[in-house]
Amino acid sequence: MADDDRHRNGREGRDVEVPMRLYKTVTVFSTLIAVFAVVFGFLLLDAAALGTGLIRQAVRSLLGLLSLSPSDSLLSAMFAVAGLASIAVGAGVYVLGTRFQAAEMGEGGD
Amino acid sequence: MSLKEKDEHDHLGWMKGKQLSPIEKGYLFTLIWLDKRFRVVDYLELLETLYYRVNLQMPKSHTEQYNLDNKFWYWYPLYALGSFSTLAYVVAAISGALLGFYYTPSAAAAADTGTVAYSQITFIMQDLQFGFMLRSIHRWSAQVMTAAVFLHMLRVYFTGAYKEPRELNWLLGIVLISLTMGFGYTGYLLPWDQLAYWAGQIGVEMSLSIPLIGEWVAQLVFGGFSLGAPTLQRMYILHVFLLPFVVTTLIAIHIAIVWIQGIAEPH
Repeated sequence: MADDDRHRNGREGRDVEVPMRLYKTVTVFSTLIAVFAVVFGFLLLDAAALGTGLIRQAVRSLLGLLSLSPSDSLLSAMFAVAGLASIAVGAGVYVLGTRFQAAEMGEGGD
Repeated sequence: MSLKEKDEHDHLGWMKGKQLSPIEKGYLFTLIWLDKRFRVVDYLELLETLYYRVNLQMPKSHTEQYNLDNKFWYWYPLYALGSFSTLAYVVAAISGALLGFYYTPSAAAAADTGTVAYSQITFIMQDLQFGFMLRSIHRWSAQVMTAAVFLHMLRVYFTGAYKEPRELNWLLGIVLISLTMGFGYTGYLLPWDQLAYWAGQIGVEMSLSIPLIGEWVAQLVFGGFSLGAPTLQRMYILHVFLLPFVVTTLIAIHIAIVWIQGIAEPH
């Protein structure tokens, strides 16, 4: 993990210099994944809070096929945990993406 | 332009020569894997090229020609305020036409309590499907239009867009902002609740305070010196008949003049 890129400009955290094309890949896909994960997380939180709703009913019928019928409070708890986890994953993907920078980026001032 | 594969940068070879933690390696590997399959970045680069090529075909504006962009760029979003007011006007017109299906401008006593006009408002707000939303959209678009028109006027003033040869359109704009406020005032009175009633009382007294023609103006606009059925009737006709025709026509002329004269360059 020791690298010459560490603390290049006094900023906290690690910077890794990558080629421009790879920087674009990281930016585009990490943002996409983060957005989808966070929005999906909120949808799950919504399903946890709302007694009725498409996601909740879909999951319930899916579990019904496996002949499982969890209680309402258990289902809500599962949805809430999954939603928070999804939001956390989205944030993590985004934050991890910020350490990859193209040449001459983040040298302060422009 | 085509989406032929370019000479790919050797990502994996580059990753070998770099000291990366396992998490970083897995992260980059996953994103590269996705990129090779979905090629979103390639498409975005295509759009970027397209954007710059189209831009090269455009004539230079005054600001570009004299290199004023660095001083002037922060005004550019404010050039959208005119379109924004028009959009708010269209939204208000559509939602207002729909509200017109349910509203009755009658100051007569309603079956249960209050006046017919007010009981129709409560019907729209409480019983009508999407009625609360419909009236809220109408109210908010009206508020937004008033604000946007005012800010549009400030923008025109501070960029000097009213100057020769556009004086006529500036005067037309002043008429339009007054009529917008007229729209707001007449609409404000239509619910015929306490707020509306006393706002109407203020209107009557303001009219009466005009020298010489005050009484005549109060009679004409409010249908008398005290508020009643004629007042509500007149406000309704002003709001849904007279003003819509006049304002729509004037907006059309206002925009047509901008179209003919072009957007004013900053002075």
